[in-house]
Amino acid sequence: MRVTYFFYYVFINVVETLIRLFPVPAKTGYRKIGSPNEDSPVLLTCNFHLTIHRLKRAIRGINCHLLIANSKGINVWCAATGGLLNNHSVISVIKTSGIEEKVNHRKIMLPQLAAPGIEAKEIQKKTSWKVIWGPIYAKSIPSFIKNNFVKSEIMRQVKFPIIERIEMAIMWWFFLSVIQFIFWIPFIIWKPFLLEEALSLCVQIFGISVISFILFPLFEPLLKVKYKADVNFNFKRLIVIFIMMLIAATGVVIYTFVIKDYAKWMLIRWSIISFIMVIIINMDLTGTTPVLKSDLHEERLYHVVIDKEKCRGTGICVEVCPRNCLEMDTKTNKVSDPRAKDCVQCGACIVQCPFDALFFRNNQDEIISPENVRKYKLNLMGKRD
Amino acid sequence: MGYVLMKILESAPYRYDKGVRILTLGKIDKAYGRLTQQVKKGDNVLDIGCGTGMLTLHALIKGANVTGIDINPEMLEIARIRIENSDFKENVNLLEMGVAELDNFDENEFDVIMSGLCFSELSNDELNYTLKFCKKILKHNSVLIIADEVKSNLFVFRFLNFLIRIPLVIVTYILTQTTTKAVKGLEEKVTRAGFKIESIRKNKMRNFIELVARKTKEN
Repeated sequence: MRVTYFFYYVFINVVETLIRLFPVPAKTGYRKIGSPNEDSPVLLTCNFHLTIHRLKRAIRGINCHLLIANSKGINVWCAATGGLLNNHSVISVIKTSGIEEKVNHRKIMLPQLAAPGIEAKEIQKKTSWKVIWGPIYAKSIPSFIKNNFVKSEIMRQVKFPIIERIEMAIMWWFFLSVIQFIFWIPFIIWKPFLLEEALSLCVQIFGISVISFILFPLFEPLLKVKYKADVNFNFKRLIVIFIMMLIAATGVVIYTFVIKDYAKWMLIRWSIISFIMVIIINMDLTGTTPVLKSDLHEERLYHVVIDKEKCRGTGICVEVCPRNCLEMDTKTNKVSDPRAKDCVQCGACIVQCPFDALFFRNNQDEIISPENVRKYKLNLMGKRD
Repeated sequence: MGYVLMKILESAPYRYDKGVRILTLGKIDKAYGRLTQQVKKGDNVLDIGCGTGMLTLHALIKGANVTGIDINPEMLEIARIRIENSDFKENVNLLEMGVAELDNFDENEFDVIMSGLCFSELSNDELNYTLKFCKKILKHNSVLIIADEVKSNLFVFRFLNFLIRIPLVIVTYILTQTTTKAVKGLEEKVTRAGFKIESIRKNKMRNFIELVARKTKEN
């Protein structure tokens, strides 16, 4: 039984990692984990199938109630930041899943990364359920619960470890390879020997994306865009593209050695396709990572401003910031942002502040009020106009 | 490429109406027109999932006072603009709220409750909850009106729909980034919630339903 479960777990992980670029919705509503009673904790997550699959494994052995809220099949952070996992999804699942009859407490644990999209204050007002912001990663949930719902500093920070980097690489690889292969199909029908070349190019794309993401820690300092920096032309970014081009060129060289063929057209084809792939991966490389903000849209680059007059030192912003940018000054009882350069502009702090003490400002000194950030999700991902 | 894609997706609510008209092959307007014949002047009407306000406007033209609820603020903005440009801006109240908040309304508050292409977006739990509260907030002997895409009970029709729908869904999505779903077992759920179904009109393909159900005393 355990072996079957393990293979099933791995199988779903592999398949859904390949198609990670696309939403995979699961059924919303109530799930029982273990044998919970009326005092057991209540957890909530999104309805991205892979998330639920991994969460269930991470919390096995714990008796709890799990609510799946509608996020249109998208993961917690993207859905919350893009406005799909919102107050309505949470209110709806709390009131329609029958959870209120199953437990005698009114505390619900939400993933911290849902903070850009869900207002704890609204949930409490409309359902009388109190929101507890859980840890970022599902694997920390057991110790978080054991620790009486107290989060350590590590539990509230996003990271981009090697395993996740490879996951992103595989996601890009599969998507780009399939597109590339579809493009080849008419030519393969015309000249069947091209099949070998098309498949070899899939391997080449695998190499480009996996090596690029493995090397990401080297690129990170180069990719970081400073506020007001020129986004469109950036010398440091060209270095990254150049390094990736070198990786691609190595692939081409290896291929020519393997097949012992130096045909001019083959080299041209390989170079053009490799070039396009490097450009596509680079186009929004920072946006594929959880630790750097996407700079695809220059007009969307804002920074968070703290209004010290309004700040009352609740510290909620510090608790929900996934990049640990903010800090509480215990002397003045005000929040400051010593690590503002790490901000990925998710807007969680702005959305959660009960006194509207934080807001966005761009380089033209335009201000986006907390009210607008909440309503239209005017963070990095949200809608405009 | 990503930029263009994002811009297209963002303006999707503005193409919602067009998308729905393609997907329902133009029958949506006629269906809404037929259903709102149930609405009388001065009626207190609730529109669940009013979206861009298509159905809301139909009821307003009949002279009703309409409360429209939807969870999407962008769609509501479009509805607001649409109604402001019409002659009926006085008698409408648009609220950003989901079906889970239907319990905020008073018992026996509405003369008519209507919903167009919304029940198919709800989960089973949500749909049952909605019907339960519809019954509560609707006046005695008043009607619930539903227009939605449905799944036929007959395999042949389901299969035919499947064949027709796939290209239609792809084309509509490319043109307007809009898609709709179909609701299963609607009649049964409405009956189970304690309504008496008065009339059902289905199209030839059996994939679109216009349903009128009444809240009767004995139920």
